[in-house]
Amino acid sequence: MVNSIPSNEPISEAEALERLSQQDDPSLQCYGAWWLGRMRSSHPEAIPLLLNCLNRQLNSIQLEPEALAVGRSAARSLGKLQAEAALPLLLKALNHPDHGLREAAARSLGELGDPVAIAALMGRLQQPLAGEPVGNGLNLAEPCEALLEAIGQIYLVSGIKASAESTKALEAFQCHSRPLVASAASRALLQLSGEAKWAEPMVALLQHPQLQMRRAALMDLAACGWRPAAEAISGCLAENSLKLIALRRLVEEPLGEPHPGALGAREKELLALMDGLL
Amino acid sequence: MNPLLNSYLLAVQTAASAQELVDTTRNLVEYCPNLEPDSSDQKAAISCLIALLGINNPGAAVAAVDGLIACGSAAVDSLLNNLDEHNYGARAWAVRALAHIGDPRGLPVLKRAIEQDIGPSVRRAAAMGLGYLKLNELPESQRLETMQICLAGLSLGCADGEWVVRYAAVVGLENFLVNASAAYAEASRKLLLCRCQMQEEFIPVVRLRAAQALEKWPAP
Repeated sequence: MVNSIPSNEPISEAEALERLSQQDDPSLQCYGAWWLGRMRSSHPEAIPLLLNCLNRQLNSIQLEPEALAVGRSAARSLGKLQAEAALPLLLKALNHPDHGLREAAARSLGELGDPVAIAALMGRLQQPLAGEPVGNGLNLAEPCEALLEAIGQIYLVSGIKASAESTKALEAFQCHSRPLVASAASRALLQLSGEAKWAEPMVALLQHPQLQMRRAALMDLAACGWRPAAEAISGCLAENSLKLIALRRLVEEPLGEPHPGALGAREKELLALMDGLL
Repeated sequence: MNPLLNSYLLAVQTAASAQELVDTTRNLVEYCPNLEPDSSDQKAAISCLIALLGINNPGAAVAAVDGLIACGSAAVDSLLNNLDEHNYGARAWAVRALAHIGDPRGLPVLKRAIEQDIGPSVRRAAAMGLGYLKLNELPESQRLETMQICLAGLSLGCADGEWVVRYAAVVGLENFLVNASAAYAEASRKLLLCRCQMQEEFIPVVRLRAAQALEKWPAP
């Protein structure tokens, strides 16, 4: 019955749950898991089923690509659904041999925002050779970008103070040869300290010759709510739609300030910048 | 053709990198004010600028749109005749140019865009443009009907599923109020009031912008 619907058609929540619960076809499971996260399903069965899926992967010794894809998809969706019950399994997944599963777990731990995860994320980041390329050179030994982003995100939402030691560990990645990793480190440092000096490398990247790098810097500064970069964002050579999304974030969630309920002078300046991009 | 213009056009056409294209486009745009209005030279520059809207280089496109806006009404015919039905990125830039020029001849395009364009960035530009049409360029007899079409479009923009289109409609309404008669002003204010309310508008930045517009146009 499950196979009667082609996998590329839009599906219902019931169909997604059914695909996730069967175990004969991993590709259908994978899609079901993705769908529930993407649609922010609030069905009471969604999180238990996703937890089952992830748990099965963690207890299995098989590392077939298809089975791993199901585990990764479940891990990602648990983060999107903000499933606090997933914390123990995601922490376990952070030590899984599969790079992709560790990456998915790191991102989801960031989305959960629970400071309990910081030690484990830091632990992976401080593995010897964590930032060195492995295999065909595509991946680093650890999913550093995801780890850094998650750490920054947790400090940001929890508001707890970072130890000098943690700050130092993050600083080490600021000079990483891959610009996206270096940028993720700057972003995390800015999020946990609110210090302008960490924003500078990202603001500088807004002038990078590659559009892709400029876009990444734009979104990193937005994720930090770094209002002093608003003018630089507005003038960056990137799509207006992206700049508008970034500026909206600066208006709504400024770093280290409460969400604005009324219009102050700075809010008016930010809105004027947005108006100019319509 | 003026040899200087020819060299600027050639530089754009032969740019070897994304950055070079941005620079050569900017040079061309800077030169545009020297061109005789409605001359064949100006037309050549305009068609070059329009072609630049469709090549996925945001830096060059921004500069090209600025150039087209500076040409004003002289660019309108070419913009209307060269809308790219298959590339909504290009269409968004073209509609943005039309929106900023504010020539009433652009109205049918803005109306169609806000009603049915699949690209949010196209609807965004159209929503803003519907509030910036230069109504005083129209004969008195057409003004009221045009206002009606604009307000209907702005109202659609306020109900759009994308926050950025609603934001643009609010900005459009703020300017629409400059020339609106009492009845239209009241209708506009009502739309803005809706965008201020938390139970109607879930996106904080849209509420803030609508509040700012109402601050400028308090009820009489």
